[in-house]
Amino acid sequence: MTSSIKEFAKKDKPYDYYPRLLEELKKLNSKLNMFSNISDISSGFPFSVKDNICVNQVESTASSQILEGYVPPFDATAIERLRTAEFSFLGKTKMDEFGFGTFGINCKEHPRNPFDEKYVTGGSSAGSAAATAVLKYHVSIAESTGGSIACPAAFCGVVGFTPTYGLISRYGLIDYANSLDKIGIMARHSEDIRYVFDKIKGSDQYDTTCIDHEIASKTAEKLVIIDQLMKGVDDKVLSSFDKLLSRLENMGHKVAHESVPFIEKAIPAYYIISMAEASTNLARYTGFKYGLKINDFSKGYNEFFTEARSSFGPEAKRRVALGTFVRSASVKSKYYEKALRLRRMLIESLNGVLKDGLIISPTMPIKVPKISEAEGLDPVQIYGMDSITAPPNLSGLPHVSFPYDYVDGLPLGAQLITSHFNDYALLDFTERWEKQFEYRFKYNVGAL
Amino acid sequence: MIIMEDQDFDRLLKVCRIRLAEKEREAIKKDIDEVIAYFDTLESIDCSKYEPAYQPIEIPSRKRPDKIEAFKHAGKLLENSKIYRFFIVGPKV
Repeated sequence: MTSSIKEFAKKDKPYDYYPRLLEELKKLNSKLNMFSNISDISSGFPFSVKDNICVNQVESTASSQILEGYVPPFDATAIERLRTAEFSFLGKTKMDEFGFGTFGINCKEHPRNPFDEKYVTGGSSAGSAAATAVLKYHVSIAESTGGSIACPAAFCGVVGFTPTYGLISRYGLIDYANSLDKIGIMARHSEDIRYVFDKIKGSDQYDTTCIDHEIASKTAEKLVIIDQLMKGVDDKVLSSFDKLLSRLENMGHKVAHESVPFIEKAIPAYYIISMAEASTNLARYTGFKYGLKINDFSKGYNEFFTEARSSFGPEAKRRVALGTFVRSASVKSKYYEKALRLRRMLIESLNGVLKDGLIISPTMPIKVPKISEAEGLDPVQIYGMDSITAPPNLSGLPHVSFPYDYVDGLPLGAQLITSHFNDYALLDFTERWEKQFEYRFKYNVGAL
Repeated sequence: MIIMEDQDFDRLLKVCRIRLAEKEREAIKKDIDEVIAYFDTLESIDCSKYEPAYQPIEIPSRKRPDKIEAFKHAGKLLENSKIYRFFIVGPKV
């Protein structure tokens, strides 16, 4: 059976199923740090939620110290819709602070890869991917700004789906960059993703950027490789990816190579826009409205505000400073406006390629790195790791990462991109793939 | 490589309301110089004929009806703050 949700519904559960599930999960969580909190569920199909998405009466911090103690009095729209469909909230998953990270290590007690604890999970939806790799019956509601679903999905060996920008309401999401943020889904089976997607998508009176749009399923035989995206890909990753292409050709696909001018510049353009938007979004954390409280009200506003913001982590401080810089009047046209124009140019170029094909590539240019290796990289090297995930995220294009090989005991993921609102074509593709290729997991917590 | 002079960097931090200890300041200044140099690689591209894309897709303008609605969570929202009557207590302005 290719749907955990359907399989779970059909199975008889012992009377102590949920207590045992929770006990086993809590024990494993003390080792892998996937969840920041776990709820005592007693019925329904479990779902976890990235910590930057609000859940009623559950502390939601986006893994930031500045939001510690913030308890939203409402559910995000996606969560409310999932609860209506009789899914049960299992817990909040850890992430890079505010989504600022590629490896999942920019937070306290960061998650560890379930395949091997010495390795990163990928980020920023780090805990969501790890939880999906650990739990047999579970889906995770995650979020991507520049690759935060695809990257950890690839590193943890699960399916990570990022829909077209605007299809899932962002109401209740703790904003990072409004024109880039997309709520998405992680699961072990694509059919589960489709089921959850259908439950949570659609317009919302509380998010004016969320739209109702017909979603197509235009499948394509042609798989396009963008040559510039393959530059800098690790040799072992390339070798495995070539085997995937041969397998897909045997399944009836045709592989073509194309070039998209300046696609490699999607990374600086993405970082300029995301940092500009993040620097304004983070201005709301003042030390008296949400989370962290500075209780010395005798201080002036600026001093008070500065003290509150000292609790941001180093990457948040870096991004606020850079975002403020690129928006400053003297350089705005050089950086921010140019990045916006480049985004338009790339969208038009990619739409041309996607007219009659899907774009395929490895999801990440490297194998899963060790935590110690990731900690040794400087910011420019880290940002460069988003070379393949940045273009679809910058362009709001739907994409999915799916496991296709295991090297040295760790998974590799491939990324498939399609045109706006053709989201079902991705899930059609991965559902067919899953009939040919069995995903591997080290843990199956909650198996029946 | 120095992209930003010390005084410009200090002014930027002041605008951001971010205070850094000396060691952290040095490290972040170095990172920021490197990242700005990376951003400068966009300079060689001419994309002036393209309009800025503020959103990745066209989003039709949608207005909410101009009517007052009761927000059921209003009272609970205030629980996250120190309040006096129905006002959030904040610093001096």
